[in-house]
Amino acid sequence: MNDKMIYTMGIDMGGSYAKGVLLHYDPTGGIHQVLDKRTEKIRKRNPKDVALEMIGRLLEENKLEEKDIAYLASTGEGEMVEQKTGHFYSMTAHSRGGIFLAPEARTVVDMGGLYVRAIKVDHRGKVMDYKMTGQCASGSGQFIENISRYLGLAVEEVGEMSLKADCPEVPSGICAVLAETDVINLVSKGLSTPNIVKGINISIANRVIKLLGSLKAESPIVLVGGMGMNVGMIQAIRELAEESGSKDYSFLSHPDAIYSGALGAAVWGGFRYFKLKEKQFVFVA
Amino acid sequence: MKAIRELIAECSTQAFDLHFTRAKEWKAEKEGRVVVGYMPIYFPREIIHAAGALPVGIFGGGDRKQVIKGDAYYQSYICRIPRSIMELVLDKHTAHFDGYIFPSICDVIRNLSGIFKQQKIGKFVKYMDFPQNFLPEIGGVYYQQEMAHVLKYIKDLNGVEVTTDALNHSIGLYNKNRELIELIYHIRQEFPWRLSIEDVYHVIRAGTVIPVEEHNDILKQVCAHIQQDIGKPQDKIKVVISGAFCEQPSIGLIRAIEEAGCYVVDDDYMLGSRMIMGPVDPDTDNPLEAIASAYIRQSQYSSSIYDVHDPKELRLAKIVKDRGADGVIFASASFCDPSLLDAPIFQNAFDRMGIRYMAFQFSENINQFKVIKEQVGAFSDSIKLWDEEPIVI
Repeated sequence: MNDKMIYTMGIDMGGSYAKGVLLHYDPTGGIHQVLDKRTEKIRKRNPKDVALEMIGRLLEENKLEEKDIAYLASTGEGEMVEQKTGHFYSMTAHSRGGIFLAPEARTVVDMGGLYVRAIKVDHRGKVMDYKMTGQCASGSGQFIENISRYLGLAVEEVGEMSLKADCPEVPSGICAVLAETDVINLVSKGLSTPNIVKGINISIANRVIKLLGSLKAESPIVLVGGMGMNVGMIQAIRELAEESGSKDYSFLSHPDAIYSGALGAAVWGGFRYFKLKEKQFVFVA
Repeated sequence: MKAIRELIAECSTQAFDLHFTRAKEWKAEKEGRVVVGYMPIYFPREIIHAAGALPVGIFGGGDRKQVIKGDAYYQSYICRIPRSIMELVLDKHTAHFDGYIFPSICDVIRNLSGIFKQQKIGKFVKYMDFPQNFLPEIGGVYYQQEMAHVLKYIKDLNGVEVTTDALNHSIGLYNKNRELIELIYHIRQEFPWRLSIEDVYHVIRAGTVIPVEEHNDILKQVCAHIQQDIGKPQDKIKVVISGAFCEQPSIGLIRAIEEAGCYVVDDDYMLGSRMIMGPVDPDTDNPLEAIASAYIRQSQYSSSIYDVHDPKELRLAKIVKDRGADGVIFASASFCDPSLLDAPIFQNAFDRMGIRYMAFQFSENINQFKVIKEQVGAFSDSIKLWDEEPIVI
């Protein structure tokens, strides 16, 4: 293995999806290169099998073997990744992943399947402070998935559909159960699908803006995680920030937003690889 | 030799057998046998063994026993272990126990012994005070009298007059037991991936409910296995757990700490089994004096020991250094006065010494670990990634 450039892998086991990234890590301070990335819906499968399969595919398609990976890092539900070298807590991984995608960002908003978390970071991706939503599912990507299923939409369609709204109606933002009932009522009232999904995006965006306010977030703010791919959500957050007088916020998005956790884990994995190597050197000497 | 997973599975079954089946079987094997239950933290099991009886640890119901009746005995601001012990007793889980020993830990356990007496549970109930004066001629003599008192209770039940030879033999067996347990910790200090702390816990806890001879046999096999190069190392920080010496965290929580990015290289979960460091003299004319002397001179630090001349914060710091640990996790049971009162003393000292730590509270029936796992994960990452940065207090 050439120590100037090494391969690392990050596997992010989320509540709904597994995400994997193969990285060419550059320890010289240059730019780490993403060689490959994959997402896999977990559904009702054993997450351990999903992780195993994902690692296998990433290796196979890049003509690599497990021994070629200097550090295989997990994040999220890390115990599902049995081959891992080490595990990083999801906030640590998403912070670094956010900075990888948008180096100028000073706040990373991780909008995942189970919660939304706003994290203040420094230029290295170190967590300085954070705020997150409570236990209620109505502030999460899982909620959007459920609603899209009720409405007969693929989750990927929700963002574009939301952009077509002209008169959105916002459901209950307090409880997922009540909000889902609200959505059923909206459907029976004959509200159009774009207006319903936009209303849901606004409901979650409202929580994001409140989180940013209580965190005293610094701009630029990068939106990552699965919901960071939802263009309707990004638009709703921007509109709401403007309406609520938070005009100083500048938001960044990235097409690889869903990979932020896996990317962060892969980058930290490379960092740890060299740190451990250095320690061993000192020890041997 | 049995396979390691087979040994762990057997230990797991024994460790959490809340009906104490092995003790029941042991008692049934011969008429007149006596079973004595003891509570945490530490009790000199050697003397019970020498008297022909079986010492059995009672560490509460954990997350495997719903507490209904036990709640009636304690206010809401009292820890959970006495409630679940009451529940076990009232549900006849310990009906085959002859007597109960309550080592001095705190007021709650003292009051539990009072409830046992009041309710006439068992044939004898002994609240056993440990010396707080560490002069052999004062605290040591007092401790010998306490042990003699326990032996009298057992003699009244089985008629066994304990001999010097029997005591020395039992001391030898428990010396071996502690030696093997220490060997496990010693091996794990360098190769913690060979046996998870969850497995270690199962193995050691099983030893509190089965005869020491059987436990020593298991320990020998476990040690032989982990002396081999088994398992795959992972990049984790090394931590010492402190504060969970009485009420026990659930096995899920014990596992969650390692899953969150730590190797636990030392802990006080089953402190009583490791309380005496090094061997007790197994060849004296006065074995009770040897046990008392070991308690006075070779005790592990504990929140139930107030030795002003040997500050516990320095002793914990020494464990951290000796084990090569990166930090300490203070895991205290909710409403556990000894643990929670000690924590600020440790933390103030560690702030001065630059030892990294984190703290959380648990109760034995907790089975949602997400928040604790996140806290531990953040602690682990802070050491893995930012250990060269100064600690901000």
